[in-house]
Amino acid sequence: MNNILELHSVTKRFDSFTAVEELSFVIPKGTVYGLLGPNGAGKTTSIRMTIGITMPDSGEVRLFDEPFRREHLKRIGYLPEERGLYKRMKIQELLVFLAQLKGVPHADATQRAARWLDRLELGKWAKAKAEELSKGMQQKVQFIAAVLHDPDFLILDEPFSGLDPNNARDLLDVLLEQRKAGKTIMFSTHRMETVERVCDAICLVNHGRSVLEGKLKDVKGGYGKSSIHLEFEGELPFLDRKDLFQSVNNYGNFVELRLNPGVDSQEVLRMASEAARVTKFELVEPSLEAIFIDTVERTEVAHA
Amino acid sequence: MRNVWLVVKREYLERVRTRAFVIFTLLMPALVGAMVFVPAKLAGSKSGGTRHVVVVASDASLGEGVRRELQDKSGADEQNRDSADRTNVVATTYKVDVNTAPGEDLRQRLVADVSAGNIDGFVWLTDEAITARKFRYSTKNANDFVEGSAIRNAVSAALMKQQLSAHGVSAVEAENMLRRISMDTIRVDKGQESKPTSTIAFLLPFLLMMMIYMTVLLYGVAVMRSVLEEKTNRVVEVLLSSITARELMAGKILGVGAVGLTQILIWVVLGGVFSAPTMVAMRPYLADLQMPVTVYVFFPVFFVLGYMLYSTMYAGVASMVNSEDEAQQMQWPIILPLILCTVFAMAVIRQPNSQLAFWTSMFPLTAPIVMFVRIVSQQPPMWQIGLSVAILVVTIYGLMSLCSRIFRVGILMYGKRPTLPELLKWLKYSG
Repeated sequence: MNNILELHSVTKRFDSFTAVEELSFVIPKGTVYGLLGPNGAGKTTSIRMTIGITMPDSGEVRLFDEPFRREHLKRIGYLPEERGLYKRMKIQELLVFLAQLKGVPHADATQRAARWLDRLELGKWAKAKAEELSKGMQQKVQFIAAVLHDPDFLILDEPFSGLDPNNARDLLDVLLEQRKAGKTIMFSTHRMETVERVCDAICLVNHGRSVLEGKLKDVKGGYGKSSIHLEFEGELPFLDRKDLFQSVNNYGNFVELRLNPGVDSQEVLRMASEAARVTKFELVEPSLEAIFIDTVERTEVAHA
Repeated sequence: MRNVWLVVKREYLERVRTRAFVIFTLLMPALVGAMVFVPAKLAGSKSGGTRHVVVVASDASLGEGVRRELQDKSGADEQNRDSADRTNVVATTYKVDVNTAPGEDLRQRLVADVSAGNIDGFVWLTDEAITARKFRYSTKNANDFVEGSAIRNAVSAALMKQQLSAHGVSAVEAENMLRRISMDTIRVDKGQESKPTSTIAFLLPFLLMMMIYMTVLLYGVAVMRSVLEEKTNRVVEVLLSSITARELMAGKILGVGAVGLTQILIWVVLGGVFSAPTMVAMRPYLADLQMPVTVYVFFPVFFVLGYMLYSTMYAGVASMVNSEDEAQQMQWPIILPLILCTVFAMAVIRQPNSQLAFWTSMFPLTAPIVMFVRIVSQQPPMWQIGLSVAILVVTIYGLMSLCSRIFRVGILMYGKRPTLPELLKWLKYSG
């Protein structure tokens, strides 16, 4: 088995609105895949199509090297963006119910639920009703529901939203552990630094189309060391020169600059040291965030 | 199938274990019991006693006649009693005094006696009253229509007997002439005459019909709430990553249905236990209730089918709306055919073989109730029953897949309620 998920020219329209258009990407086994894009770009619709909640109008979804079949769902864990639990149900019973729907036998499911609840420090809440838990705890319960049946493929829609740093850290640890165990993970998020740390490959979606796709290394390498991180004290009057810079992210006394092709970085350093006191000058690959903003803005222009 | 079963099980256990279920299940029989037994107890305490009545008549023989009629009433002539009297299980006995000297003094004294409670009432039967064919009965409780009619019947019978004997008819002959004629309605079924049916037997289809009607209203709304709950707490997306919308929908309808049946079963058992003594006492009347076996076979069939059909519609409504308020407004397309059912049922009971009866027992929305009413009143040919069941099953299946498609799109779209064209588009998306 090579590819866990393949989308081939998948399109989904809602009336006149095209949610996803000709989207294609491949997730090989063992990959942590980031699905990125601004709000309303079509991430959630794409995810729903991969697990058969909505059907694509055209194109093909393949799971585990086979055309989509509902039996595949037993091997997939899913954490939706819209969170919800049965409010009046006891946590442990709820988890067992959801695992049973994935085909795990009752006794087995009970054991695993207890283990996971202990692991995420929810052990003493096992008999509590969902409505008695805090938001963060409920979210952890939902995450447990996604991994309880030990799926080969984990799909997480915005898994970190609404989690405090501690809980986010716990969740990330579990994800890394899952990757080590050979599981494949796809998640959508807005947190670029997380993506940069854990993702092997990404797909950036805007207006339902893939605008940037590939291994993270390649995506960033494609931009070369064409970015400058510059820390300074004073004023830099040349920052608005369009002939020098493709993009400028100005944070006050720190700027991230992307050079136009052919511009010499040493020239920029000379101009900067003439105008202000430079405390740090570094030639780097662009950050994913810069690539994200830049690509989205560029496709925005093309779309308009 | 395993998935449907799991959904059914969860739905059932979650509901049955709630305090609300336990309380409602136990409270309902208590309430019904109170409604039946308390008034009966009150009525019984009064009607059981002896009533002391004074008959004031210018004509002594007429007064004597009224006295005989009233006092005999409690005794032998069962034949003269009409069905209203039969339900009054504990009979009232009368103690009657006759006074033949009407006058203003006597009248005032009797009024004083009534108000002091020395006597229960007096009949003022002067010659003028007889000529005018209108007399007065004065009593404390003028609203007791049972006693009123007893007095009126007694006076009218006494008067008639007196007039007959004036025409030379003997007392025995007069008695015979005045005997009420009673009628037994016989049901002809498959070329054979069966036992006489009574008013109670005529009421049975209505009772069972009301049972279907009430259950659908009560538990259909429960199904609607259950589906709405799924939308509002947003568990549904997780569920749909394991099971299909149709499995979820079927599971919910069956689960809530099982809760309803459990509740009804508990009520029937409790009712049976508590009313057993009454039932034994009423055995002579219950004998009239004997129905062909087919009625008992088909009642559960049409009950379940009717319930499934309407709760599927309720589930469909729930999948289109976002809140219970909106759902309330959308209920009329479901309740309207239910009400129509009861209207048609009246007509069908009287003419079970009419065109109307045939078509309404085939049309799926009215079939569960109308076809059952037909089976009770005059069994239609087997092929018609079979066809009706088949149409119902196909409709339920079709509706279920239609509703689950609306459900699948509807749950993932929050916001305003869809218009009809939007609904049709939803059906297209979900293909």
